[in-house]
Amino acid sequence: MIKYIAKRLVMLIPVILVTSFLIYWAMSLTGGDPALMIAGDNAKPEQIEQIREELGLNDPFLVQYLNYMKGMLTGDMGKSYVTNKDVFKTFMERLPNTLMLGGAAVLIAVIVSLPLGIYTAIHQNTWKDTAGMIFALFGTSMPNFWLGLMLILIFSLYLGLLPTGGKTGPTSIILPAVTVGFGLAALITRTTRSSMLDVLRQDYMTTARAKGCSEKQVIFRHGLKNALIPIITAIGLQMSLVITGSVLAETVFSWPGIGRLVYDSITKRDTPMVTGSIIMCSILMCIINLVVDLIYAFFDPRIKAQYSKKG
Amino acid sequence: MDSYSTKHVKSRTLFQETWRRLVKNKGAMIGMGFLIFLILAALLSPFIFNYETDVIGQNMSDRLMGPCATHWFGTDEYGRDLFARVIYGARYSLAIGVGSVTIGLVVGTVLGSLAGFYGGPVDSLIMRAIDIFYSIPNILTAVVIVSLLGTSTVNLMIALAFSCASSFSRIVRASVMTIRDQEYVESSYAMGLPTWKIIAKHILPNCLSPIIVQITLLIGSTIISASSLSFLGIGVPAPAPEWGALLSAGRGHIRDASYMCVIPGLAIMFTVLALNLLGDGLRDALDPKMKK
Amino acid sequence: MAEQELVLKIKDLVVHYETDDADVHAVNGIDISIGKKRTLGLVGETGAGKTTTALSILNLVPNPPGVIKQGEIYLDGMNVLEMSSEELQKMRGNEVAMIFQDPMTALNPVMTVGDQIAESIELHQHISKKDAFEKAKEMLKMVGIAETRATDYPHQFSGGMKQRVVIAIALTCNPKLLIADEPTTALDVTIQAQVLELMKELISQKEMSMLLITHDLGVVAEVCEDVAVMYAGRIVEKGTADDVFNHMRHPYTEGLFESLPNLKERGEMLVPIQGLMPDPSELPPGCAFSPRCPYATEACSQQIPKLESVEGSETHFVACRAYEDPKFTLGRNRNGQ
Repeated sequence: MIKYIAKRLVMLIPVILVTSFLIYWAMSLTGGDPALMIAGDNAKPEQIEQIREELGLNDPFLVQYLNYMKGMLTGDMGKSYVTNKDVFKTFMERLPNTLMLGGAAVLIAVIVSLPLGIYTAIHQNTWKDTAGMIFALFGTSMPNFWLGLMLILIFSLYLGLLPTGGKTGPTSIILPAVTVGFGLAALITRTTRSSMLDVLRQDYMTTARAKGCSEKQVIFRHGLKNALIPIITAIGLQMSLVITGSVLAETVFSWPGIGRLVYDSITKRDTPMVTGSIIMCSILMCIINLVVDLIYAFFDPRIKAQYSKKG
Repeated sequence: MDSYSTKHVKSRTLFQETWRRLVKNKGAMIGMGFLIFLILAALLSPFIFNYETDVIGQNMSDRLMGPCATHWFGTDEYGRDLFARVIYGARYSLAIGVGSVTIGLVVGTVLGSLAGFYGGPVDSLIMRAIDIFYSIPNILTAVVIVSLLGTSTVNLMIALAFSCASSFSRIVRASVMTIRDQEYVESSYAMGLPTWKIIAKHILPNCLSPIIVQITLLIGSTIISASSLSFLGIGVPAPAPEWGALLSAGRGHIRDASYMCVIPGLAIMFTVLALNLLGDGLRDALDPKMKK
Repeated sequence: MAEQELVLKIKDLVVHYETDDADVHAVNGIDISIGKKRTLGLVGETGAGKTTTALSILNLVPNPPGVIKQGEIYLDGMNVLEMSSEELQKMRGNEVAMIFQDPMTALNPVMTVGDQIAESIELHQHISKKDAFEKAKEMLKMVGIAETRATDYPHQFSGGMKQRVVIAIALTCNPKLLIADEPTTALDVTIQAQVLELMKELISQKEMSMLLITHDLGVVAEVCEDVAVMYAGRIVEKGTADDVFNHMRHPYTEGLFESLPNLKERGEMLVPIQGLMPDPSELPPGCAFSPRCPYATEACSQQIPKLESVEGSETHFVACRAYEDPKFTLGRNRNGQ
């Protein structure tokens, strides 16, 4: 198992190289002239030239990229054009906030959707099922930033219960987390339902009943553990949705996370910040995917066996 | 005495059979009705409204009026009629949704069938590349592409087409790989049919159902993504009345003119809801096994 | 046979599957009973209602769409269809156990086989988890699998081995009645023989009764003392193995035997039964076999024949109107005797 994790980590390297290269290349074409941005509009040509030299902007592109990657190994991803702060440090400062938001969102989503998905599956084709599915349908059809605005409208402005934004106290995470979690909950509910429906039809469920298991034992001990496998895959695939959702929710709620950082950097054309954040995000995604795969293996002995065989 | 087995068989084409099942599905019919209404509105809006005066023309004396008889959805901060802007906005959302999905479909189908049919190194190369794209949240991919190409409707479409393409290529690849090994495909080989003909004649028609379903669902999610990017200010440039851009403008007035936040969002939600209803209905209609 | 010696008695069981499109008449009023330590073979084609009958005994017909319309099923004098869910849980796996057709899908893929056997023990005998697992290992040994494999998962076993595990699960609580639903159909021929031999041995060792469901007359001949032939949800003929194999009365039973290849007389023509079994959602009036029956008369398609005892026998029953004519005999019996 450890060997497998190590192998997967090694496999990440080319992925990170390719992604970072593409992002670095694309962003280097877009940012305008950074030297001009730093020096300001009134700068003399010599000043600009000096800054270009300092930043290494006169080097060939490939050299620039290699220098960037070399820096990345030591956690040096350049400095923001706007605040002059270290990109890597700023990212790492913001990361816990986003992880907290994403974690809370996933938690809310799972708490709501697993029971709901199982419940609707057991009551397939009744009004309970229909009601649950309509909820899920609305959840997947709603742009989550709009849901965020509506939550602010209702819970902050109309009812005055919760703060409109910022990270001010323990209650300030509720609205953004619900915003991100709602769409996720809808998706997981649908997956849970269909996965459960599939499992309910399996022969081993009849075996379990024939053994004398109660309906509860059949569904939770035999059904859920099998149904969880596709559900975990679905949650894993939706991790990019969590990041996307966070970018939007953080913007709507002024939550000081990575999403807000990316958004601010884009509007201020802070190229090193954008480049650095996006590269770090894709690395983060790779790690999340790896973790999801490992959880997956934990639940499915067939896959675990495969891994240990591969060594 | 064979009458028992033959009595039931009425000959219907696959299309007729699917249509018959789809019509029975209330949700799908509601969705389809709403979409037809929306498409008509989008097509007819240039004849109903004058873009220059009704949609983007400012009229400061009427600013921030709540919904009333003359302005059904109220007016925005520049006194523009929100009803006209929302209806006109359907053009953008539908065009971007359909446009990105079409580009994505073409690119994805080609890549997916190549990967699935040839397997081996071709497959690994294409799929690794797609995996990489897939692993970056698509909003970030879109950010990179839009900042590379500049903000415009067409560029937004291209940016969103990337994630559609990766999703289509996965579906096509998976279907192609299962169908490729079926006996009827092997027999076409044995009969000496050229490869491209086998792909076009036997393989692609058989992955049609998942593709049709995916098209419907992806148009919906692309509309959401497009509005998200516009909301962030990197989608359709102002003053075009794209729904996400309307919401972005409305956000500043959430305290004093909340209808500006509510209405464009409802427009997005009902459009996507309609597409999802239709997509789910199509899935059940095309694959009746799933429902039972 | 005296009532109190019966382990299982089914009276007039009717089961339908009701869907939007059709009302499938799977079981249409059957009566069967199994005595202590006896083995009854329930024979018939796919779709005859055999599995539905078996599931009814455990009250496990999937509902919806399955509905047990009427009938009584007595296990040791208790009516299964009137049991509470607690009573059912106590009975299932403990008094009556079932072996399923496809061992590939009958085992839970994410539980070790040891746990799956032990679960049955834990449910019915109040012993610790550890003891249950120890007992599960013994059961594995009994069906011919090494104890060390108790911690393996089903995907690590072959089909025949999996069926042995399923047998171990079924027998672990020493049930009075074992229902085996086509236990060897999904297996290779050589494995079939092994599994069958194992089952036979364990049944006699544990003094159980068995309901063996199969379409394979060879298996019936090998294992069963009593035979019931089922067609379109009804029993058309039943009796001891000797009755049915050597003195068959029903044209359908004859058809089944005519369809068997005979290894000894190579080159002999097979005589298949013409046509297909009727759609159980639209059964013909009268005898369901009459559209395919070579002896059918006008009368056959008008009234459903009752299962009546064969003259001069206490054990042999047949449901065929042809015997209203005392001179009638089956073609096979005419030549054979």
